[in-house]
Amino acid sequence: MRPDTVFDRRLQHERTALAWERTAIAMIVAGALLARHAVELSPMFAIIGIAQLLTGASLLIWTGRHYDDLHAPLRRGESPVHPGAARLVGVASVVFCGSATAIAIAAAAR
Amino acid sequence: MSEPADRTTRRRGANWFPADPTTFGVDPDYRFTLANERTFLAWVRTALALAAGGLGALTVLDDFGGAELLGIGLLALSFATSATAYRRWALNERAIRLDEPLPPSRLPLYMAIGVAVVSLVAAVLFVIDAS
Repeated sequence: MRPDTVFDRRLQHERTALAWERTAIAMIVAGALLARHAVELSPMFAIIGIAQLLTGASLLIWTGRHYDDLHAPLRRGESPVHPGAARLVGVASVVFCGSATAIAIAAAAR
Repeated sequence: MSEPADRTTRRRGANWFPADPTTFGVDPDYRFTLANERTFLAWVRTALALAAGGLGALTVLDDFGGAELLGIGLLALSFATSATAYRRWALNERAIRLDEPLPPSRLPLYMAIGVAVVSLVAAVLFVIDAS
């Protein structure tokens, strides 16, 4: 349910939502660039970039919904901590940056 | 390459993927949690931006001899940055919940040195390439 007033006058939770959205958009852009570069090596590797792009897109949708839903728990004084989301984004970025590095080295060695 | 040497934190085993910080201490002021989350996301974005820069260099700079070195250098930096992001978040969150001082990080320093070295090498290669 959409709240009628903002919870925090310093807009902490909106700033955090925007940080999530920027991260999701960066993930989409980097995924598209990886797909573009990897396709020169093999179309198989482009799947990694497309998977990253789709992860970013899902994250963008989740973020918008999650931060709407967060008003009620914040008003109840509950912690907004979300270790699952941090873990997912952390692991996804390691996998992505690692495979991008590996693909770049493989393409350069070819 | 760069791993932040956090001397004040526990040194038990491989510390790259710390335990769920919500099992420690008490729920802090929500603003601290959100500030830590934003810092974590800023590091992830930095890693993604470095990766995008590296991939962009590899794709766009076709006729530049140093493109591979520049691209792979930036991608290696992005990997190092992303590899430490979750760890930093979890250790910070744990310290906040236990009301302890936040563990220091050398990552900003290593990052600055790494980007400076890659830029300098790229600049030198550009000059060699142009002459």
